[in-house]
Amino acid sequence: MSAMKLTGYADQFGVNPGKKIKFYVNCDGPSEYKVEIMHMVNGDTNPRGPGLLENLVNADCNSTYKGRKQVIHSGSYGFVNDNKHLQLESFTLQCWIWPTTPKTHPKYWRHGAQGLMTKWSDNKGYGLFINEDGFVELRINGEKISTGAPIRDHAWHFVAATYDAETGEAKLYHEPQIQYALDPDIPSVSKKISNGISHTANVPFCVASYTKAIDSNPLAQSSVPAGIIMAGHYNGKIDNPRLCDRALNRQEIETMKLGAQPGLTERRHSGPTGPLSNCIVGSWDFSSGINTIVGHDKGPYLYDLQIVNCPTRAMTGHNFSGQNFDWKHAPTEYGAIHFHDDDVDDARWGVDFEWSVPEGQNSAFYAAKLTTSDGDEDYIPFWVVPEIGKETAKIAVMVPTISYMAYANEHLANNAGGAELLVYRVPIMQDQNMFLSEHREYGGSIYDTHTDGSGLCLSSRLRPILSIRPKYDHFLMQAPWQYPADLHLICWLETMGYEYDVITDEDVSYDGLARLENYNVIITGSHPEHNTGTQLDALHNYTQQGGRLMYMGADAWYWVHSYHPSYENLGRGVITEMRRCESGIRTWRADPGEYYHQGSGELGGMWRYRGRYLHSVAGTGMSSEGFDISSYYSRTYESNDDRVAWAFDGIEYDEKIGNFGFVGGGAAGTELDIVDTMLGSPPHTLVVATSAGRHTEAYLLVMEDFGFNQQGLDGTQHPRVRSDIAFHETPNGGACFAFSSIAYCGSLPWNNCDNNISKLTGNVLDRFMQDGPLPPPPADAYKHRGRADYEPPMNKSSK
Amino acid sequence: MISIPKKGSLERERLIAEHKACIKSMIGVPGCTILRCDTPGDTTNVSGGIHEDIVLNRVLLRMRAAMPANGKGKLVVICTEVDKSWRIGRLAGVRGVPPEFVNDTIYDNEQDPQHDIFVMRLDEMDEEDGYPEHFNEGWKRRNDNWTVT
Repeated sequence: MSAMKLTGYADQFGVNPGKKIKFYVNCDGPSEYKVEIMHMVNGDTNPRGPGLLENLVNADCNSTYKGRKQVIHSGSYGFVNDNKHLQLESFTLQCWIWPTTPKTHPKYWRHGAQGLMTKWSDNKGYGLFINEDGFVELRINGEKISTGAPIRDHAWHFVAATYDAETGEAKLYHEPQIQYALDPDIPSVSKKISNGISHTANVPFCVASYTKAIDSNPLAQSSVPAGIIMAGHYNGKIDNPRLCDRALNRQEIETMKLGAQPGLTERRHSGPTGPLSNCIVGSWDFSSGINTIVGHDKGPYLYDLQIVNCPTRAMTGHNFSGQNFDWKHAPTEYGAIHFHDDDVDDARWGVDFEWSVPEGQNSAFYAAKLTTSDGDEDYIPFWVVPEIGKETAKIAVMVPTISYMAYANEHLANNAGGAELLVYRVPIMQDQNMFLSEHREYGGSIYDTHTDGSGLCLSSRLRPILSIRPKYDHFLMQAPWQYPADLHLICWLETMGYEYDVITDEDVSYDGLARLENYNVIITGSHPEHNTGTQLDALHNYTQQGGRLMYMGADAWYWVHSYHPSYENLGRGVITEMRRCESGIRTWRADPGEYYHQGSGELGGMWRYRGRYLHSVAGTGMSSEGFDISSYYSRTYESNDDRVAWAFDGIEYDEKIGNFGFVGGGAAGTELDIVDTMLGSPPHTLVVATSAGRHTEAYLLVMEDFGFNQQGLDGTQHPRVRSDIAFHETPNGGACFAFSSIAYCGSLPWNNCDNNISKLTGNVLDRFMQDGPLPPPPADAYKHRGRADYEPPMNKSSK
Repeated sequence: MISIPKKGSLERERLIAEHKACIKSMIGVPGCTILRCDTPGDTTNVSGGIHEDIVLNRVLLRMRAAMPANGKGKLVVICTEVDKSWRIGRLAGVRGVPPEFVNDTIYDNEQDPQHDIFVMRLDEMDEEDGYPEHFNEGWKRRNDNWTVT
């Protein structure tokens, strides 16, 4: 149904002047397409605003290119290249499995048999499968043996299959770990299969898939191994797979569950017993190398599996005891990998064009604009970032690229029935949503669940990310969100004539304070929700040494993120990981024991529950969210304090501040932050304006702020459902100004930037960008202040 | 559970009229809710709608909470040309299967289809739901819980 024929991505988010950036394009149909590098200024096409603003850049790659289709081979699996040890005459296959979609809807995008352990293709070879009826199945060439018993989803099962070439006997075992009272027994099944096993050269041994074809078509080159197309991607966990070169009896299979035992003292062999050690072909231990993309083989041949498309690791295994919840402390209980048919780590497309970014190219938002003569169009955004030491401005905009990755290609409008209780209206799907709804191979966002319903906790930037696009209204707000919403800020900076650099979350995460310290002021995006620890460290260090931070949005500094170390060879920040743990706004919830990141090993979830309160970074933190319409602010008496009154020069005390805008129709909306000195806001923080009392029933208090459900949590009732614009000083002449609403930036360009939100923001930026420390506060501002302790109005009135 | 007002009832007509008035006032707002803007297209002051009509409020909640795969499938708005045209579609309820258009009506603003979907849902939804006589096995398998993802 979708008309999108052009999609693409770049090898980098941020590129330095003087360096090259590569672009990868899928042009599905048109014979050619045109490339124009654009300096992006505004991406919102709302007819009440300035419209799309982009400036053509004189780039050496601007040209017309021959179109070619490129596809993503999504779905995770592990494989070992074909070799003589895998070309077995007899065998035993065994593993534990926890399937999540053993039987799929006939219209499901990858309906059909799923491979568990296979060296099978086109009716040749051997393999253990779940067939399309949801039964465990052994395949030997074209012969199929099934238990005839539907396998229970979301439950552990031990499965095994043997084949003895001499006798021709094949045997299949399916043994659920839990048998409920009324579960029928599942006896093993046997069948005579003569003629032995036929092998196809170069068909790899696979875990969680099987080989569909060895294909010379160029589209197969982006598969791994190149030219080998996988199919039958399995959804679910696999634990302790073993492959032996003879048919073991049931007792031997039981012993082989122990696998290779390289840790035994005085050992003389690799197996659990001497005789069994002689027949091990592979004994894989997924509890080893959890932070890698290797499935380690502890057997004698070291046939490590290459893991493709980054499945989820650090997953509890069949033997999880519930005593340790950090995989690093009990690795043997984390021997499972959860594979998904929509995992994607890298589209692996061929390069279509490159841009050699000239020295001296302005640091800004850019995009490669792709068009065809038929009206097809796509944009590939990227940022030109100056090298450290070569900053070109006093102002830096910190582009929230981790948050962009977290929201990358979200499917909520489709999967979640529109999440209508959240957005409080019927969602509107854009062309990008329609394309993604039928192209699951493009992967989802960290807000989605996988196609099997499990939480999606890893997101790659090496794929087309259709949500990071101009002209894209997000279903959550029926307005720009993230990338196009941040362009509202860029539009304002450009219109007002400010000179600025752009830096990304990646840059700050990898370079720390060095990336920030040469700027007088750092400006955030509208929704920098997802952050690494090193990024937060850098921001704290920056403001403590006198840096100024303008926090332009809300719901920031919320989730723990880390970049997966195994993709560093492809560039910085290729895959980001987060886990949704016991609190916070969670579109899915991690299972018990699965809170620690597979890449960094750190505890995931909210920074708040790592003891790092979000309110401590810029003064305010998330209080509530709602996605129907936005509202506006009124000044408080604290705005008249000499410490901050300068921010309101030109704004009357009784003015409605921000009762206009391109996100919800007001500056206070979508997600809202407040001051809370018990949650990290410095005690001297001033609340200068608030939207208290003006939000709709759609706005609800965040769940981490209450312990049990009760009525009265919405915007028409609860006092914490509000946005506070706040200011506080930091040491050495630094300061933070928190605007505390995602919708805020959407009001900046209103009326050609002539409005009171623009005025307030300009007053703050003009002061914050000045050289040297900010003027000190009045002497009487220095005083002791409590966190919870203050003098309530009732006390004052009774004096 | 709140029931869907019967066809031809005065209550139903009242809900439709109030919903329509809210939607008409939202034209021009980059967002939408079922409230009346005092000044059309301006959210500075809003009233009526879900904040003052408890039946409308509850009926809308029941509609919003419906699972995508239940009934005929959930209705959505599909933008067919940015800032120019919109149509109504229906979710497949199966991952990897895109929504399909339900009719040929093309809207020139993004708010009007909200109202038509409301009326279509009034027609399509069971008048009563959620009582013991409506029990099915899905209640035990999470089909009774509105989805987030």
